[in-house]
Amino acid sequence: MRVVTGVVGNDIHVVANRLIEISLKERGFEVFNLGVNTYLEEFIDAVIETDADLLLISSLNGEAEGWSRDLLFLKSRYDLDGVIFAIGGNLSVGEATQEELVPKYKAYGFDLVFHQVDLNEGLDSIEEALKANQKVEA
Amino acid sequence: MNKLQIDIGSTYFKTNANGELNQYFRNFDISIYDDLQNKCSQLLSNYTKDEVSICSSANGGLSTLIIGVTTLFSLKYATNIAFNSGINIIDTILYSKIEEANTPTDVIDVVIVVGGIDGIKSKFDEKLINYLKDVNYQNIVYVGNKENRDFLNKNIDDLVILQNIIGDKLQVVEDELKEYLTNLYQADITGKEDIKKLYEITSNQIYSTPYIVNNALPKLKTLFDVADPFLVIDVGGATTDIHYSTDLVENKNIMTSSGYDRLVFKKLGVFKSRESLVFGAKSNEFVYELLDYLGVNEHILDEHSDEATVVLMQLAIFLVLYQVSKNHNDYVTLKLEILNSIVLTGGISKVLSDGDIDKIIKFFYKKILNYIEIPNIITDRNYEIWTLGIEEIYNAE
Ligand code: B12
Repeated sequence: MRVVTGVVGNDIHVVANRLIEISLKERGFEVFNLGVNTYLEEFIDAVIETDADLLLISSLNGEAEGWSRDLLFLKSRYDLDGVIFAIGGNLSVGEATQEELVPKYKAYGFDLVFHQVDLNEGLDSIEEALKANQKVEA
Repeated sequence: MNKLQIDIGSTYFKTNANGELNQYFRNFDISIYDDLQNKCSQLLSNYTKDEVSICSSANGGLSTLIIGVTTLFSLKYATNIAFNSGINIIDTILYSKIEEANTPTDVIDVVIVVGGIDGIKSKFDEKLINYLKDVNYQNIVYVGNKENRDFLNKNIDDLVILQNIIGDKLQVVEDELKEYLTNLYQADITGKEDIKKLYEITSNQIYSTPYIVNNALPKLKTLFDVADPFLVIDVGGATTDIHYSTDLVENKNIMTSSGYDRLVFKKLGVFKSRESLVFGAKSNEFVYELLDYLGVNEHILDEHSDEATVVLMQLAIFLVLYQVSKNHNDYVTLKLEILNSIVLTGGISKVLSDGDIDKIIKFFYKKILNYIEIPNIITDRNYEIWTLGIEEIYNAE
């Protein structure tokens, strides 16, 4: 399975990004890590060039709330059926709960949303979703 | 050793005879060879064929059409490599939009097709073949993923297949395509009748000028007091070239072997492209403030005087910096705030005074970037970069 990951926007919090790369590799993924400070367009283009199965975006300072508004537009330019879009970290600039944020981010075009969710827990659900996805495609 | 170096540009040619420089406007009614003979026959007679070296940017360069699957990887990487190979004219098509894309009316010298890392499914299908049917091209090269090679090779005549320029870490892999394009450009220059004839005065290979300049960059510190990262601006008659340290680029995936990249503004020049320069200037939101700051008004843009040339050259510097700044979303954005040196070369160095240059760069930094401090400015008044580049090449041979 191929995964494109990185931290969206002008966000420079790098520690989570390193940990995520290591965890994904341990779980057997082929990882394309675009690092911190990555714009949404770059994520989408990397998914196309690598035929990734999964896009996993982090946001640590909450900037994703602003950037994600462009996601549906960017997705519409390519055929991205079958790619799972996941996002996690701190998904709001102010205080917000998972219950408020999930519908909001789903409306932006993400399939899986993890606001302040433990990484391993999140990655477990992502792997399940990928398995389910494979079954549908097969 | 006795040495004569000649650079043929689109507007003028210059000579360096053992360190003595001269510059002549070209006469477009006669061939380059005749023009040279008319103006420099005395000079030429003092040198044997092997003492003369020539470079040229007068052929206008190759025209290139790049078809890629994304803007930020395939198209960007191929464009970067093409510029670094000395190519000026580049059009791009995003493959997902190919069915809506126009067919170029002119003959394309080379079509470059690129997309995808190795090890995944093919990116190009019948849509590409259909599109290419109507394109009039001389050469076509495929530098995308391995999986697509057989299909394309079967369906496209005379397809050249080279190493994928997108590496398995999504990084740029430039070597093979760069070499291919450099050779093609080289063959184009020497194939032009006008240039071919120049082999009557030299027995050395004729190179493209951008190639010569790029070769000088790693050694620029031996000539001038420059500090990395730096930017070289070469404002010419038809185009403006910039060469810059790759440290100035935001994109972490493009790392070229020399550490320097080139970019061309094809409609920015003070003679042949004067009209489009003026047009570009007039549509820039800062131009009136800028003209006011220079103490002139907009009528100067339509005048043909020495003063107007000075202002146009200043505008060209401003527009180039503006177009690579964060204010303008274009092919590259350079981190101009960390720039240490700006080197100016080309025709501009013969016209602008230190004061003229200082003034425009100060305006740019203050107005656009909000900085009082500006980078260290060096003006290559004696075309030393070009001389160094030629020497680097002939020494290497
Ligand atoms: C270190 C740090 C910095 C350092 C970063 C150094 C660096 N280069 O990495 C510096 C000082 C530079 C910094 C700057 C800022 N920071 Co700061 N920073 C922190 C801090 C203290 C620790 C972050 C960290 O590394 N944690 C360790 C890693 C391992 O944990 P993590 O980042 O939380 O990541 C885990 C989870 O989020 C999750 N996860 C992440 N992505 C994903 C994705 C998925 C799919 C899943 C399932 C899980 C997941 O898994 C990760 C691993 O366990 C946090 C506070 C905190 N204690 O968390 C604030 C914090 C992240 N920063 C914050 C802010 C506001 C800023 C600044 C804007 C401050 C300012 N006003 O200048 C700037 C922004 C700079 C920028 N452009 O991004 C806020 C963000 C607020 C919010 N939106 O929730 C925080 C939460 C502090 C706070 N409580 O206010 N910061």
